[in-house]
Amino acid sequence: MLFSSNVFLFVFLPIVLLLYYIVPRPFRNPVLFMFSLLFYGWGEPVYLILMVATILIDYCFGVVIHSRKQKNRSAKAVLITGIAVNLLILGFFKYAGFFAEQLKIIPVFSEISVPEITLPIGISFYIFQSMSYIIDVYRNDAPVQKNPLTLGTYVTLFPQLIAGPIVRYGDVAEQLSFRKENISDFSSGVMLFIFGLAKKVLLANPMGNLWNMLQTEDGTAAAWMGICAYSLQIYFDFSGYSDMARGLGRMFGFEFLENFNYPYISKNITEFWRRWHISLSTWFKEYVYIPLGGNRKGLPRQILNILIVWSLTGLWHGASWNFVLWGMYYGVLLIIEKTVLLKILKKAPAFVGHIYSVVAVMLGWVLFYFEDTGALGEFFVKLFTPAGVSGDGLVTMLSYLPMLIISIVAATPIAKNFFIKHNDSKAVRILRISAAALLMLLSVAALASQSYNPFIYFRF
Amino acid sequence: MKHKKEHIITVSVFCAFISAMLLLFILIPKSEFSELEKRNLQDFPEINFENIANGDFGNDIETYLADHMPLRDFFVSLNSYFDLLTCRNASSDIYLTKDNALTEAPGRIDEAGFTKNINTINSFAEKTDIPVDMMVVPSSGWASRNRVFGLSKDYLDSEYIDRIYSSLSKEINTVDVREIFDNPSLYYKTDHHWTSEGAFRAYEAYLKELGKDFRPENEFTVEKVQDFYGSTYSRAALWLMKSEELELWQGSGNITVTNGESEEEHKGIFYTERLKETDKYTVFLDGNHSTVRIYNPDALTEDTVLVVRDSYSNCLGGFLCESFRNVILVDLRYYKKPVSELCSVENVDNILICYSLNNFLTDQNIIWLR
Repeated sequence: MLFSSNVFLFVFLPIVLLLYYIVPRPFRNPVLFMFSLLFYGWGEPVYLILMVATILIDYCFGVVIHSRKQKNRSAKAVLITGIAVNLLILGFFKYAGFFAEQLKIIPVFSEISVPEITLPIGISFYIFQSMSYIIDVYRNDAPVQKNPLTLGTYVTLFPQLIAGPIVRYGDVAEQLSFRKENISDFSSGVMLFIFGLAKKVLLANPMGNLWNMLQTEDGTAAAWMGICAYSLQIYFDFSGYSDMARGLGRMFGFEFLENFNYPYISKNITEFWRRWHISLSTWFKEYVYIPLGGNRKGLPRQILNILIVWSLTGLWHGASWNFVLWGMYYGVLLIIEKTVLLKILKKAPAFVGHIYSVVAVMLGWVLFYFEDTGALGEFFVKLFTPAGVSGDGLVTMLSYLPMLIISIVAATPIAKNFFIKHNDSKAVRILRISAAALLMLLSVAALASQSYNPFIYFRF
Repeated sequence: MKHKKEHIITVSVFCAFISAMLLLFILIPKSEFSELEKRNLQDFPEINFENIANGDFGNDIETYLADHMPLRDFFVSLNSYFDLLTCRNASSDIYLTKDNALTEAPGRIDEAGFTKNINTINSFAEKTDIPVDMMVVPSSGWASRNRVFGLSKDYLDSEYIDRIYSSLSKEINTVDVREIFDNPSLYYKTDHHWTSEGAFRAYEAYLKELGKDFRPENEFTVEKVQDFYGSTYSRAALWLMKSEELELWQGSGNITVTNGESEEEHKGIFYTERLKETDKYTVFLDGNHSTVRIYNPDALTEDTVLVVRDSYSNCLGGFLCESFRNVILVDLRYYKKPVSELCSVENVDNILICYSLNNFLTDQNIIWLR
């Protein structure tokens, strides 16, 4: 189920909110758990089995790790087995096809058949969450969870189930058992949810349309505007989803960490990755980079660690070489920044850093978008060879210019800062609430029109 | 707690909105057919294990809810106005003009289809002894090309018509109506067709070209029908647009109409019972049929004309029968038999190929002309 759907907004959400708040407290987690399973199983019920199995497996690993530690025995082997099992599940469902394709290149394996497995929705997110649970228990960063239902609630919690943020167990362990819902959290959750929905439906979708239309156009300017639109689409899509997730979390008394912090205003790539998909970078830092030794074992080792982490980050985004390339691209950029570039950028005027970051990130998205190397090359040629835009292309570009400008402004904290600064003014607070109401109506309108398909050939 | 009242208002309005939508979903009666979209709406999906297990139920229910969403028309229109406000008019397929009309965005040529259509028409004309005329009507958008609100793509109608006419074989006489139709008032404001007056002007131009008599304007009595909303209106979903008038030009009194789908004879060219429907344009000759035959004993000549046509001729046919005793309209989307055979059986005197430009550019059935 998607947040930006009628089923979610007008059937699922009102019912789950109502039930959640009328049942006595001990039943609130079970209500969330049941509804999360329903939410997940809506499109692909088969994979519910996989998810429940994952929960049970990690529940057992948690209990075993905990009990061995209680008895002062080493739990390292159990932890490693646990991680391996999780990675095997992820590897099988997400990467089996990809690895089989690669194996085929070797003559001995050229006959193997490539398995066709549909990717279970959200598997990259919930496996990472499950792994964080057993690791946190092992490191004593969080207590073991004795109630499988509560652990299930954590893994399946529908707000962040499909697209994050990746909530580390340690961060919500306490909230899972003791949380206090209140009206001010609920209300800020509503606002956050609406802003997230508007980001997705009113900004990301039009930017996606623009990108689709411009891909068929020739011309340098069209290519740059296209990749600009795609950069905005991917940001609003993803951060909109995270905002909706955090907003929904608050409605049920959870507080998830911020996942995006205006990444496009960064002055360098190091900063960009502190602002983009924060929960994923934190996860890799906590569970891969630091355990590998981080920056404590000398520069050569640090460079190697960075490259490992970023290839994995790339691969996490999808089973295809272009994602690995995309990850490596950032690995290399970060190494260059760490060794020389950051010092130079510090002395240069701020706008230099902004332009460098935005261009570097946009070129990164080109790598991210094109899974086909041929198309990737063609697009790079388009970006860097001067060519005029056709008349129709120009009209498309100009007609979307206002939306593009609105989107760019929305990607900066201008509005947020304004509302924070004037939060003491009642008029401004009312303005903010009214804006949210309007955005809600417009988002629903945009959703409604997606289904409006006049049968235009009824009489030609 | 700070600003408690505002929090309570925010939460209650939000919860009230989503619950009200849920209740309305349950309570409002569901229609099976959308008049504006001319399509059947999704039925409530069947609940069974297989459906639920393979995820179809989930998907169908989403379509069902989307199709039967409360206040759907309001929301769809709100979105259209929002697009208009953010200047996205120019990249939609319907433009709003300064005359408050909704008109189609310019059509674009598909080279392969274009060549196929031209070749088919040429080889048809070369094989027949009957004189063939061709009339391509520019789009309503072209007529309003300087009146579009905001940006618009270029209308190349005139260039395309030049290309069509110059690619046709010499056997085919062309009727150029561009000068006449460079006039937005000959098209509807909420529909892509020409008005009755527009069709009359085309009739007049064709008969002048043939050198035959036509019934002059003042011999018709015009009946006006209110509340017409056409195709561009449903496509644009700008519901605040005003409806317009549709004119019924009454000429001879003894006309009978039959069509290829039924034996029944209809008196007169207007199917007035159709005026009760949303799509009132079908008042002209009952809309689309594979063939339509109009017989007028009081016509100015005893000749027979066969028109290979699109929906523009639903209205044109009613005028042609004033000059031809027999008018046969052939719609190649539904009529797949050789037109040449029909011509010899019916002793056809003139053949007119009449298409609106946008239809000609996208048509995939002209290849059936043989």
